[in-house]
Amino acid sequence: MTGLLWLASLLLVGLSGLPLLLHRAFAGYPLSTRLVLAGASGAALVSFAMTAAVLLGIPWNVPGLVAAGAVLAAGLRLFLKPALVFAADAPRPPEPGESPRVLAAAALSLIAVGAALGATFAGAATSPDLLFFWGPKAQQFALARTFDAAFMRDEFHQHMHAYYPPLVTNLGAFASMAAGRMSWTGATLTFPLLLVFLAAGLPGALADRLGRAHAAAIAALTIAVISCLGVEADIAGNGEMPLLLFETLAIALLISDAAAEPPTQLIAGILLAGAAATKVEGLPFTISAAALFFLARPRASRPFWPAAGRLILPAAVMLSAWFAFGASRRIFFGYSGYGTLFDLHLDHARVVLAAVGRSLSAAGHALPWLVPLGCVLAALPLTRRWILPVGTAAILTAFFLFTYIHRPEDPSLWISWSAARIFSPVAMLLALAASLGSRGEPRPASP
Amino acid sequence: MKRDSRLSTLDSRHFFVPLIGAAILVAFTLVSLPWKENLFRRPRTIFDRSAASAVAPGYALVAAAVPLIPAGATVVVRTEPRDPIAETYYHRFADALLPGRRALPASFYGRFAPPEVFRDAAYVLIVGAKPAEPPGRLLLETPEGTVWETPPRR
Repeated sequence: MTGLLWLASLLLVGLSGLPLLLHRAFAGYPLSTRLVLAGASGAALVSFAMTAAVLLGIPWNVPGLVAAGAVLAAGLRLFLKPALVFAADAPRPPEPGESPRVLAAAALSLIAVGAALGATFAGAATSPDLLFFWGPKAQQFALARTFDAAFMRDEFHQHMHAYYPPLVTNLGAFASMAAGRMSWTGATLTFPLLLVFLAAGLPGALADRLGRAHAAAIAALTIAVISCLGVEADIAGNGEMPLLLFETLAIALLISDAAAEPPTQLIAGILLAGAAATKVEGLPFTISAAALFFLARPRASRPFWPAAGRLILPAAVMLSAWFAFGASRRIFFGYSGYGTLFDLHLDHARVVLAAVGRSLSAAGHALPWLVPLGCVLAALPLTRRWILPVGTAAILTAFFLFTYIHRPEDPSLWISWSAARIFSPVAMLLALAASLGSRGEPRPASP
Repeated sequence: MKRDSRLSTLDSRHFFVPLIGAAILVAFTLVSLPWKENLFRRPRTIFDRSAASAVAPGYALVAAAVPLIPAGATVVVRTEPRDPIAETYYHRFADALLPGRRALPASFYGRFAPPEVFRDAAYVLIVGAKPAEPPGRLLLETPEGTVWETPPRR
């Protein structure tokens, strides 16, 4: 019962995003997509409100945090022109034979979510990291109603990575305050819960360019990739699923036709900020996705500076608040590495590549990467937008290899339990890139 | 008309290729679920059928000890026989499952901690066999291990 209450209370953060997503600029999206975008944006805004409250010395309380998130969303809404008409405002009429295809794809997505739910209920997908650091920090912060600096400094809590960005622990603390205590089962169930949200919201985010049937098929592929990886690599309860939710929705928006519209860029920026505030690797993802957007979509991203502000400023503000907390309490001053920067151990290169290969093979025979890669190849030739997902996947891969090759000791064991999880966004990006086939149309590139 | 039919073929391909990809992955995921371990039977712990199932006994014992260990008490989790890797994990479980108590490590980062780090613990949880020398008063015995209250030190 506590688990259900814990999970249900997470829905409250979605309320915070509603003032923004109720703006008519988003009327072109289906209701399910608007609600999911509101939920994800609300989660990022509430997490920021929690960090800001700590900096201001205000103890957390659930209604106050929901209200603070809603005020932030209402403030951001002021940046949207009231009379703005969204490009996708006019719903596309259904094409002949579309509904059965949409239903078939939706059914596959639901089965994939069901598999994730079954594995989580059975105790077959739980990540030890939930117990090692995500959960204990969330629980302690809920008890303290703030970031507990003494807990973070404790010599026996070094394994809890005090510098890890705050969103997962913030939302865990939020749910623990609302439910009255931490629920470990509830935390594991965030994997299927966020996956079903993604299944509900993703097709609508992709449909303006693809049409409903193709969008539903790409969404089904993406959901199946995440479900398979989550079950194989045990991600229930850790930061991977929230990270994938933010990243998937952000990239889906940025490769859509609506990405030329400032409101869509603003929401994508908030989602990228959510990714950057979720895990360390969310920051390179955010930077590369924002930078490659300008390369992949030169016309959609004009004028440059306002678009850059919408995509990057939310992440910059959220992470600045986090690092301001760390520095002001003298707990951390940035992200910790595993050695001196650029002190690479190239003699480990072969070991690293072999260990990564073994780790990905062990996660479903690497099918979660190979299947979407096959779909990308089948969709060739791609539109110029491919630069965004494929380029981000390439940069992330380089970042992970750089990180592994940094460690002075043999990193094989570390890679064996981390690679399949951290490479999961690469698989998701390939699934989304499979939507970028040029469809054989003689249309001029509309980047 | 010719172009329409080509487009239609392309549209079908763009729809069916990812759909088939999704079907392959969903089928693989369903097959990989632990059906043989009675999937629908409620697990004892959240790790029972995961890749980390080896730590399930420690999780079960620490969870069972929650009502026995008062707020503010110090506690250490050991294994019998001693295993520094498992003890490192169980120290972290104690931090997670026993909020408000002070968990002392018997091992830290895969190495045995010096005895003075944890010898003053008021409660000792031992995952595994009952120790030859009882560390105090037995409070609980489960298939996974035992929970002891140590005599107060002077």
